[in-house]
Amino acid sequence: MRSARQQPFRTAVLILVWGWLLFLVFTPNLLVVGASVMTRDPGTFISLPLNLDAYRQLLNPLYLEVFLHSLYMAAMTTLICLLIGYPFAWSLSKVARQHQVLLIFLLIVPFWTNSLVRTYALKLILATNGLLNSALMSLGLIEEPLQMLYTEGAVIIGLVYLLLPFMILPLYAVFDDLRDDLLRASHDLGAGRFSTFIHVIVPLTLPGVLAGVMLVLLPAMGLFFVPDILGGSRNLLVGNVIKNQFLDARNWPFGAAASIVLTLAMAFLMFAHRLSKRRIGEEGV
Amino acid sequence: MKKLALATLLAVGLTGCSGSEEPQVLNLYNWSEYMPQEVLDRFTEETGIPVVYTTYDSNEAMYARLKLLDESAAYDLAVPSTYYVSKMRQEDLLMPIDRSKIEGFDNLDPELVNLDIDPDNQYSVPYLWGTTGLAVDTADVDGEVTAWADLWDERFEGRVMLTNDMREVFHVALRVLGYSGNSTNPDEIEAAYEKLTELMPSVRTFNSDAPRMPYLEGETDIGMIWNGEAVMGRDGLPTLEYVYPAEGIIAWLDSFVIPKNAKNPDAAHQFISFVLQPEISALISEDIGYATPNLAARDLLDESVANDRASYPNATDMINAEFQTDIGDEALQVYAKYWEMLKSGQ
Repeated sequence: MRSARQQPFRTAVLILVWGWLLFLVFTPNLLVVGASVMTRDPGTFISLPLNLDAYRQLLNPLYLEVFLHSLYMAAMTTLICLLIGYPFAWSLSKVARQHQVLLIFLLIVPFWTNSLVRTYALKLILATNGLLNSALMSLGLIEEPLQMLYTEGAVIIGLVYLLLPFMILPLYAVFDDLRDDLLRASHDLGAGRFSTFIHVIVPLTLPGVLAGVMLVLLPAMGLFFVPDILGGSRNLLVGNVIKNQFLDARNWPFGAAASIVLTLAMAFLMFAHRLSKRRIGEEGV
Repeated sequence: MKKLALATLLAVGLTGCSGSEEPQVLNLYNWSEYMPQEVLDRFTEETGIPVVYTTYDSNEAMYARLKLLDESAAYDLAVPSTYYVSKMRQEDLLMPIDRSKIEGFDNLDPELVNLDIDPDNQYSVPYLWGTTGLAVDTADVDGEVTAWADLWDERFEGRVMLTNDMREVFHVALRVLGYSGNSTNPDEIEAAYEKLTELMPSVRTFNSDAPRMPYLEGETDIGMIWNGEAVMGRDGLPTLEYVYPAEGIIAWLDSFVIPKNAKNPDAAHQFISFVLQPEISALISEDIGYATPNLAARDLLDESVANDRASYPNATDMINAEFQTDIGDEALQVYAKYWEMLKSGQ
């Protein structure tokens, strides 16, 4: 009786979810794939015939350079997020339950403000006559204002600031599942703190690390407004190239191809993530 | 196919938003900080037509949006610069302007109407004109700065700002090398690129949102700026000076155009007439610092504005001045390639 009543609701939800995925995820991506194999056309943006010119253009050393630089900045961002996020999530899981909820809530609160607005706020802090410089100068720590804005460092600070919660949340999930008896067992069997960390904690939290890396690394390569605002439109990310190709150069196939390569990189990371999860699952935790 | 899907989505979105009774609104698509709020308020007050104001920060972005949204008629009025008028006209994106519905057209400067970009102004009505020149913060820069070439001076290392506009930045380098800012010759463009790579270590930032801001923030001391931005910037930074470089300033004219499928062309015509009133044109020029092509308004301007060389250059200032023209798609790709190489630091 109960399941019969629930049936229409279930069907509705499924239709909604599948419809959403089909129309707002699958179809747009299909259009991007379609655009990437079309020919560039000054009049209509894209036209037939189909070809792979856009992908060939991606092999140009220039774009390889941009990609590598972008990857470097995203990797730095991810590393810093990991270094901050790992101990953060660990301590978070150690706090009393009722406080955990509050802390996670605080972690999420900044999301209520648009990331663009928050990036502009960062600019006010980092500017030559901004908050940070005036504070340091009035404390007498520096004589001359530091040049922080419009540097590679500023871009990385911005990316870390925007993406840190995406690292902390999956890590928190795995730390939360980490059972104390495993740690105690490890200790009882003679492992010191360090080897417990290396042989028990790290492998058990690895899926969280990978999930966090995935959620930080790829978005970090695409957030084009961060280098635009904090990097002075220098230090291009792949996202900037995609935006420039669509808007300025009006080379849609190429912009689409670049975005597909980024998506494929994401898919590869997800695949690696699944693989690692399965491996750990098989070892029978 | 993409266009169709997009149009469908938009149509769904639009019908979702608007009620059954469609109120008359004017969808104005304009550059950011390019129309005083007071003008919009007074227009609504006078005609009862609310204005929905949307902004862009480059001709390219505006063009792409208008072209994509062609069928959905999202905008009633847009303000492309100089050569984009001819480009959009030739691509059949614009609706002819019904001169019988426009009052005050005769007040416009004869030198700024009936240009090559739109013979006889069939599709466009000049709104404002301006220049892109040199900004110098005299508090931090010693000695005189008179030319674009001065940007390359090593004492400005790390203190230079350029607009985030591919054509304008290349225009500067091309002029420094003695070429036309509208060059389509790949060798000249490459030479300009080589020249710009020498400038890159000095460049602190690119900015086309509000080019006065890096000067006000204390990040840069010298570089490119739009004249209106220089005028507005002086309010916060009195030592900001606008310089007409010897190699020639970059000039542009922004005009009202009505997209072909505009939903409310009547309101668009009404708005153009409203802005062409001498009193309104003068108010706009005084408020945002760009020059009005409306000669009747020039007489109403405040003395300090009318005599401000930054807004209203004299004849010597305009020696060597060059308007941007459409360089065609092939040259555009060459520029785009070198622009990306420049930005990625190769």
